[in-house]
Amino acid sequence: MRRRLLSEIASHPATATELANDLPITRQAVSKHLTCLARAGLLARERTGRDVRYRVTPAPLSDAMSWMAQVGAEWDDRLARLAGAVDSLDDRPDPSASASA
Amino acid sequence: MTELIERELEVPCQPEHLWRALTDPRWLESWLADAVDLELRPGGDAHFVVDGQTRDGWVEEVRPPVPGDGPGETGCLTFWWQAQDASPSRVCIELIPAEGGTRIRVVEARPLDVLDLVGLPLPGQGHVGQHRFGPALVAG
Repeated sequence: MRRRLLSEIASHPATATELANDLPITRQAVSKHLTCLARAGLLARERTGRDVRYRVTPAPLSDAMSWMAQVGAEWDDRLARLAGAVDSLDDRPDPSASASA
Repeated sequence: MTELIERELEVPCQPEHLWRALTDPRWLESWLADAVDLELRPGGDAHFVVDGQTRDGWVEEVRPPVPGDGPGETGCLTFWWQAQDASPSRVCIELIPAEGGTRIRVVEARPLDVLDLVGLPLPGQGHVGQHRFGPALVAG
């Protein structure tokens, strides 16, 4: 049912009442599912007057967040390695010579 | 919107000495990627192996730092890389003269697909090595 709700909302943002009218479950049950989906970050709530309309959270946003987390971690590692390589400069003016040895 | 990562690191080493860390493959392979093959000129090919995965791209800018009477001039290496099934991203590494050493500033950005309109190939379309990118992208 949640998958069905998601696909309904993906095609057009809707309120719990509108969804209940289209689906074979009560408005109360719809609300419960929507709360769950919103908590999981899959749906966003928009209040217009007395209505709360749900829309699907844009996927690119979460894609962007995971990209930034991954790329950020990669650079943290790289710069730590670079800092280590620079530290050894004093002892070994040409660390590449030992790397290729 | 551009997705962007920015990191800075200060090291007690002059920019002109650090330049090798950005341009010598053996140096680069000690910190940047497992394997690095860079053609050090604008438009040159760039190949990397990161965590066992190939990344292809091209070099956008190569500007060695210039020591001066004052703080000297910032050097930078800018390239694009792209893993298979991933979107391309632009890496700019700057060596900024700082008191007692160098501030290394890294920015990796993944511009939205609009940049593909000026010629950077989409994943699975064409090859980065064919340099089918336009001046608008280089200017950016």
